[in-house]
Amino acid sequence: MLKVSTPLGWTTLALVGALVLHVDRMPLWVSALGIALLAWRMAASARAIALPGKFTRAFVAFALVGTVFAFLHTLNGLQAGTWMLALMCSVKMLETRQRRDQYIVVGGALFLLLTACLVRQSLLRTPLYIAETWICCSAFAVIAYTPAPGTVGARERLVPGFDSRSAILLAGRALLYSLPLAVVLFLVFPRLPGAFWALPRTEGAETGLSDTMSPGSISQLTSSYDIAFRVRFDGAAPPPRERYWRGPVLHKFDGYTWSRSFTSAYRTQSLEYLGPAYRYHLSLEPSQQRWWFSLDTVDASPNHRVFLTYDYELISSDPVTSLTTYDAVSHTQTRATQPLSRLARRVDTDLPKERNPRSQQLAQEMRGRVDSDMAYVTAVLEFLRTGGFVYSLTPPLLNYDSVDDFLFNTRSGFCGHYASAFVNLMRAANVPAHVVTGYLGGEWNPVGGYFIVRQSDAHSWAEVWVDGKGWLRVDPTAVVEPERLTRGMLDLLPQAGSAEARLVRSWPSLTEMLQRWDAVNTWWNDHVLKFDYRSQLNLLSRLGIPSPDVTLLAWAFAILLSIWLLWIAWQFGRGPTLRRPDRLAKAYARLCGKLARVGVPRSAHEGPLAYADSVSSSRPDLAQGVRTLLVRYAELRYGAPRAESRADDIAGFERDVARLTVSKA
Amino acid sequence: MRQFLRKRMADWVRRRQGVDTLPLTLQRRRLYILPTRAGLGFLVLLLFMLIAGLNYANSLALFLTFLLGGFVMVTMQLCHRNLLGTTVYAAAAAPTFALRPGNLRVTLGNISTLPRYGIESAVSYDPTLATDVPAQGRQEVDLPVAAAKRGILTIDRLRLTSSHPFGLFRAWTWVHAPLEMLVYPRPHGSLSMPTESGRKSGVQSRGEAGADEWHSLRPFRDGDSPRQVDWKAYAREAPLLVKEYSAAGAELRVFHFDRLPNLDTEARLEQLARWVVDAEEHGDRYGLELPGVHIAPDRGTDHRHQCLAALALHGLRDA
Repeated sequence: MLKVSTPLGWTTLALVGALVLHVDRMPLWVSALGIALLAWRMAASARAIALPGKFTRAFVAFALVGTVFAFLHTLNGLQAGTWMLALMCSVKMLETRQRRDQYIVVGGALFLLLTACLVRQSLLRTPLYIAETWICCSAFAVIAYTPAPGTVGARERLVPGFDSRSAILLAGRALLYSLPLAVVLFLVFPRLPGAFWALPRTEGAETGLSDTMSPGSISQLTSSYDIAFRVRFDGAAPPPRERYWRGPVLHKFDGYTWSRSFTSAYRTQSLEYLGPAYRYHLSLEPSQQRWWFSLDTVDASPNHRVFLTYDYELISSDPVTSLTTYDAVSHTQTRATQPLSRLARRVDTDLPKERNPRSQQLAQEMRGRVDSDMAYVTAVLEFLRTGGFVYSLTPPLLNYDSVDDFLFNTRSGFCGHYASAFVNLMRAANVPAHVVTGYLGGEWNPVGGYFIVRQSDAHSWAEVWVDGKGWLRVDPTAVVEPERLTRGMLDLLPQAGSAEARLVRSWPSLTEMLQRWDAVNTWWNDHVLKFDYRSQLNLLSRLGIPSPDVTLLAWAFAILLSIWLLWIAWQFGRGPTLRRPDRLAKAYARLCGKLARVGVPRSAHEGPLAYADSVSSSRPDLAQGVRTLLVRYAELRYGAPRAESRADDIAGFERDVARLTVSKA
Repeated sequence: MRQFLRKRMADWVRRRQGVDTLPLTLQRRRLYILPTRAGLGFLVLLLFMLIAGLNYANSLALFLTFLLGGFVMVTMQLCHRNLLGTTVYAAAAAPTFALRPGNLRVTLGNISTLPRYGIESAVSYDPTLATDVPAQGRQEVDLPVAAAKRGILTIDRLRLTSSHPFGLFRAWTWVHAPLEMLVYPRPHGSLSMPTESGRKSGVQSRGEAGADEWHSLRPFRDGDSPRQVDWKAYAREAPLLVKEYSAAGAELRVFHFDRLPNLDTEARLEQLARWVVDAEEHGDRYGLELPGVHIAPDRGTDHRHQCLAALALHGLRDA
């Protein structure tokens, strides 16, 4: 049977560990095939079945490459590369006869670990990564120690050998000692401001808001407890009723579904800022989408790869595949200084003619009763407030003319329903309006001092053009359910949340614990994961090196490296155990030194008494005093111990040695 | 090319280090260290990891890379430390016959308080033999030495290497202690053993009786025939003893180099070696007559060695 302590066992362990890191990202068949190949290898080592021959191996390898290609239609990119590496390492296991093969498999496992780091970086997974690194290094030690089959002679096993336990301990110690260098390199190793090659799009399910909205689409999101992004404000945060985080702005309506307009002929409105400016630092969780979020009206694009649209949406050129952080400045109160362009007015008052006829009729009646657009907005809001509308996350399904069905029939809905109906009523009365989707609010984390915006905070509201004022934000949901402004969705409708969210909500201490955990995570994200080229420059300038001088840095690094190497050498020092000479030995050495200086050195083979004899024969004049001292030394060193007076005797001997005067012959 | 480089390297090391005397403790100056193939592969792997980490600007991946980079350097230190301070106490080769496997026994010592693992030793570029040396202990290694022909085999140098603990680096050293191995001629030949007629073995002349009675027991020595071992005594847990028979029927023989005229020198020496070995095994008393060498009849391991050594060195040294 396969023993873990063998190189094969360790190689298997390293590879299984690497597969485990990917098991939730890879399709089941990849993991299953990997495990099956490993099982084959283990069965072969137990001599249950034979190892495959060269042709079978090649066939299996080609078949696997083909399968991966059939699934992904490419062999390029991180995902295909990971699958291929996992499978090829498993195939390689079938021919691990030599030490070299085992090294290759463990190296492959290390690279799989790296790809795991590339796609998943949460703090929670780091212990797994550390464990895998440790396993791989221990595997190296075990492989290196065990002589490859076929080498000359068997290892002498007279001493307890270097077993798995020693391998684990040694690898752990070596990794621990390499930690300081790793930290220094992490801080000072030059990072790239950009990338060597364009990052391939990582594949994964898109999460968060989409760029269409139909009745009920947002309520699917709100049951998710996942985090959309975190925000830290520099200075005061906006009041709760102004924490609208803008996402996709929807212009086109087909009577049921809202979608984005792809007309790009708009001009940017010039704006006058009315309220205070809010500065904030936002870190976006990976969503695989191109949307970046900002507080209501953002001043400028935070990044040159992100496009600021006419609607103040932020659209990145690449999907958000990893944690992304940026700084932005926003205003929540603005006024347009130019009239709305004719094109924009046409787009934002457009409605499908034959759809929702009753609401069109209603809109025209209501508009006829008031004399301004502003008064019309108020009238519609009043209609929604008093019309018996209910805020519900589980409204009845709506039919084809969704707005009519909602306004005159079901009267039960969610933010999407209200925003949709409101904008529809506006447009029917020829008032320009559109739907804005995004997030509302956020949970304050007192530990970390930032807001957590979750998918459950997804929201939609309306913007209405009022001449002289510009785009006004109107949230019809807030009229029906004013609480929604100040409280999170899950506070309001706890039964709407997922089981996870409900559990957390019902247990305040768990909430607090999770807030702490999230604060630690945020620290990890901001200071470790997002440590980049810019943070590096910041760090250097804080250390008093404003412009990184490569020569200086190289020298500093070389010096640190040498210190570290010396430290390692000292730590792993294994000199002979030099017992420090005790007082007696020092006094004896002093005596011998004195005599050596006058020409009667002690030979290495002479003990104290023999030395006394040789001194007597070569220098009879010294014999008397020296012999007494040497005999005393021999008694103190080798005689029966007399514990009570020993310290005094040694002190006396020291004194007498010091007093002894010898002269040259 | 490889041979040439090795030769140049060996010459340079030899010039640099001079001749060594045993016991020898390995000092820094004489240790060499380079990455192994696995180590080079690992460095290439690290390079790829670094590029990937930089390109994705992925802190975790970069940290992993740097950690493993540090690990490589620690490994280098560990490997160096494993060999540094090893002591070669002695190296000696027992005489062997030509074309028979011989052994060079190397005694390694470790005065440090940590065991040394995977210390590999070898004669020159021969395959290495790995061993562990316990903390503050010794360990003997028998290195196979092939002797092609009789005479004195000079072992130029010993190689001590170690790639422990992770196999990413290999530290090695050369020990140039003067080592010689005596190689007896191969016992070979089919001529029957000549008898020195008319003279019987000296035991009878001493007047002792009893053909098969042993006259003494002595401790077992290498080279004794198993037939002479007192197995019954050994079964009683006594030490391995050898019966010295009075050998009443044993012959007294003298082997003459000059009386083998139809053979060339080497063949004669091989034939003589055959006879010496056989005669010793039979318990005969035998002597040897070589040009310039006269060995009086006797028996025993020392005598056998004396005879075989004379055969080995015939014509090579002034006797």
